[in-house]
Amino acid sequence: MSLSSDNAGAACETSVVLPANLHARPAGKLAQAAARFSSTILIEHAGKSVNPAGILAVMGLGATAGATVTVRAEGEDAAAAVETLAAVLHAAE
Amino acid sequence: MTQSVGIVLVSHSAQLAAGLRDLLAQIGSDSVPVQVAGGTEDGRIGTSYDLVLKAIHAADHGNGVVIVPDLGSSVLTARTVLEDHPSPDVLLVDAPFVEGALAAAITASIGADLTAVATAAQEARHVPKF
Repeated sequence: MSLSSDNAGAACETSVVLPANLHARPAGKLAQAAARFSSTILIEHAGKSVNPAGILAVMGLGATAGATVTVRAEGEDAAAAVETLAAVLHAAE
Repeated sequence: MTQSVGIVLVSHSAQLAAGLRDLLAQIGSDSVPVQVAGGTEDGRIGTSYDLVLKAIHAADHGNGVVIVPDLGSSVLTARTVLEDHPSPDVLLVDAPFVEGALAAAITASIGADLTAVATAAQEARHVPKF
């Protein structure tokens, strides 16, 4: 996992190659993980960008195993948010 | 964390409601009180006033309840129960059964309030499946 941050503590993003399809269970875990942060978080795939709080929208991305998903966050806990959500995506099974 | 908003699944079929509850539990709503009111009291397809009322009471842990009906008389039965037992803390939502319940359960699981859980269920209608 590589974290890039153009302005530490403000905006942060990382990309994850999904080990499994982004289906209901990992989408639910993403929503729960995202709720712990105050930063604005987006999950992006194939030109679509959704709020991870919306489990249905995350499933609607249609991201499958092997696809690249980007986690983007902006706010005071952006780095931690990106790290945590990326870990959820890495752990998808 | 305080107890989350409760969810009541009202269905014509006990199996449909129970199956949906199992699905919600798999997706991480185990901290959310989810109650079912499926079928009639003698196990037939239909809806039961008493089962809906019992489910609402069981789901209410002090932070309100969102009722997700499947269709038709599930809506009517839930409405009748709410007319007889009006409460600002019990909301019947117009939402797709599976998606609405799922969005409500996840939103409740992160500690959201009653309005946010009801809104999440209702917004499920507008999210494309793929």
